[in-house]
Amino acid sequence: MLILGVGRLRSDSYLIGAAVRRVALTACAVMFAGLLTACGGSAPPANLISVSNAGCGTNWHAGPGWYTFQIYNAATEAGEVDLVDPGSGAVYAEVETIGPETSSPMRLDLGSGSYAFRCLFEDYDPITGPTTVIGGHAHGTPAILPITNNDLLAPAKEYHAYVTAGLVTLLSQANVLAADVRAGNLAAAKSAWLPAHLTYERLGAAYDSFGGFDEAIDGRPDGFAEGVNSPQWTGFYRLEYGLWHGQSAGELTPIANTLVADIRALQASWPATEINLLDIGLRTHEILENALEFQLTGHDDYGSGTTLATTQANITGTLELLTILHPLLASRYAGLPAVYTWLDRLDSLLNQNKRPNGQWIPVWKLSVSSREQVDSACSQALEELAPIAAITEPRII
Amino acid sequence: MPDSEQSENVQSPRRRAFLLGGLGAGAAGAVAGVAGGYVYRATRPATAGELALKNAEAGLLPPVPFEGRYQAGVLPSPQRQTAVIAFDATAEGRGELIDLFQAITARARFLTAGGTPPPVGIGGPPSDSGVLGPTVVPDGLTVTLGVGSTLFDDRYGLAGRLPGRLTPMLPFPNDYLDPAQTGGDLILQLSAGNTDAVVHALRDIARHTRGGMQARWRIDGFSSPARPSGTVPRNMMGFMDGISNPDTTSQAEMDSLVWIQPGGAGEPAWTAGGSYFVVRLIRMFVEFWDRVDITEQENMIGRRRDTGYPLDSMSIYATPDYALDPEGEVIPLTAHMRLANPRIPQTADSRILRRAYNYDRGIDQVGDLDIGLVFTCFQQDLKRQFETVQTRLINEPLVDYISPFGGGYFLALPGVVDGTDYLGRALLT
Repeated sequence: MLILGVGRLRSDSYLIGAAVRRVALTACAVMFAGLLTACGGSAPPANLISVSNAGCGTNWHAGPGWYTFQIYNAATEAGEVDLVDPGSGAVYAEVETIGPETSSPMRLDLGSGSYAFRCLFEDYDPITGPTTVIGGHAHGTPAILPITNNDLLAPAKEYHAYVTAGLVTLLSQANVLAADVRAGNLAAAKSAWLPAHLTYERLGAAYDSFGGFDEAIDGRPDGFAEGVNSPQWTGFYRLEYGLWHGQSAGELTPIANTLVADIRALQASWPATEINLLDIGLRTHEILENALEFQLTGHDDYGSGTTLATTQANITGTLELLTILHPLLASRYAGLPAVYTWLDRLDSLLNQNKRPNGQWIPVWKLSVSSREQVDSACSQALEELAPIAAITEPRII
Repeated sequence: MPDSEQSENVQSPRRRAFLLGGLGAGAAGAVAGVAGGYVYRATRPATAGELALKNAEAGLLPPVPFEGRYQAGVLPSPQRQTAVIAFDATAEGRGELIDLFQAITARARFLTAGGTPPPVGIGGPPSDSGVLGPTVVPDGLTVTLGVGSTLFDDRYGLAGRLPGRLTPMLPFPNDYLDPAQTGGDLILQLSAGNTDAVVHALRDIARHTRGGMQARWRIDGFSSPARPSGTVPRNMMGFMDGISNPDTTSQAEMDSLVWIQPGGAGEPAWTAGGSYFVVRLIRMFVEFWDRVDITEQENMIGRRRDTGYPLDSMSIYATPDYALDPEGEVIPLTAHMRLANPRIPQTADSRILRRAYNYDRGIDQVGDLDIGLVFTCFQQDLKRQFETVQTRLINEPLVDYISPFGGGYFLALPGVVDGTDYLGRALLT
């Protein structure tokens, strides 16, 4: 399939999300198989497009308007079917993963243009069916030039370098933090905790690639039966909890040392770590989805009251991805300016929620209207970001 | 299918006939259109009422026309399901506020009519949640939008357009208002035949307005079938709720009690065709209530629990004759019904259009059920009507068993008159 760089299995929410997507696809296929069986013996439904590794939608005609094609896979292998503009290769609509002898709907608005189905079956060259031309000046679902694995290699490399540089900063900041804890200077440790944590949070996009290190460096206690008292809980949040709940330097020293060791180990493994190309686009909204779920709710405030700062670091991570993807997105996503507008607005709203001395205000202390504005801007930014994952999903052409 | 089986599908047409109350005669014609392809042959021709009942049960209530001089959700009897959500505007400036009202209008126009959401190709996630299937069915959805007094502060330059009677809802004696569940710049009420249609509409509208408004509080309500028969649903105290209401089929009565009139005294012109919209979230201490004997319960309300009859009558819609009972020997002077509507000419213009829904949302800190009433009412003049009625009710015996904890005062906007109009246009331009 399209996923490169198999990630390590771990209880990461992202990975669970990916698994759910796959399960949902399977369920759909079964459902439509059932539907087709129910229809067995009667005339084929209108707009039935039969595909196989021998032919791809060989016989169809249409005028402008909304259509639901039932794509039926007559082959014995699973396949993928796209409706493309055969001249440019731009994709109008797609059905990913259609099982043998099952059908799946493809919905789109056909406007003026050239259309052909293209079939991708495992172990076969892509087949493109005959072209259907719809004349006139009707607007339909726009076609988007697909992005390939190749297109994403340079962005992945850039992102890899960004993380490499970030890890250097992270390690030095974590060393300062750990030294303060070891020296028993917990006031200084509190001051050193935030910049180190924010450096980590700016790396956002790389979570999946970090494997189990992310859990060790930035994990939450919720998955442990003993919660915040669990000896298995390590990392920035564990340290935050201890520093802001009166735990002693002696108690926190091993935790600080482990944090430094985990960051070192991550740094050592990083040069050989491949970035999952699918993740680059997904992360453009997932970083802030996490911020909305864990930071703006206050869930991840273990005492320092800095989840607004974390959200801002997450914006930086998101912007880095957008910068890297910009050459690919500029011609493909008309909503890109709105993405920047709303990220800017969110960023400036966050800045308004600092005290005059630069200290961050905990979310639970915000006024109702301040909190509503922040949540509203973050939510709108997420709506604007959401299409990018679909557009930048690596596709085979 | 044999006819005999078909006829069993036709339930007693009068049972739950209240469902039809909100549809009005005009909806009967629409039933046939929506039911196109719906196989329904009884031994005798189905009445429009029976078709509507079938449609209600199938989740296929016909569309309620969105456009009109008034918002379509104001007058109908309570639908089975409702959600009331207060939002605060987060739009920056008047231009974005107009965008917000236009977006709400556009979504309401689509959702109330139903249809197939636009396909998006590979350019993004699906444009619809899919909760109602690939084609959105209206299921009788109404979308009612109102504005609160806080929208008229200095953010949008609307201070000069504040409706004459619109204020924040201040606590009455015996209220326990929670600021987090009170007020709001905007109020949105979504009502439909089924919960899925309500939730679908809420998700859709929220998705298209995230940067313009943020939800402040929300409560869901339901209206029960009339039991054992009749047209009036019961509240969670076991009493029928909303027996006595102004006649919504009388334009004269609506013009004098519900709709703000053009040139209404002290009202800016843009409010004509609107209506003051009061929401009161009222907890009922049902465990306590259930420990009260029936005579005391009935004396507090003024009606029989089983039948809804006034305590002095043998008919649900009978007008209680308070003149014959000046000392309150039959219907106590403090009965809720008697205080709310003394049935004398001097109080006739304080009548409200009462629209109450039940709510049921879990438990409280001592394990009692958090059950109560989403009281809503519409009126032409908030002070002359709701506040006057509520003032008469201060310290009624019922207050021990209820606790108003939230809600707010709003003005339901005038209707959308045509395809180019939008909710709030007269206010914002």
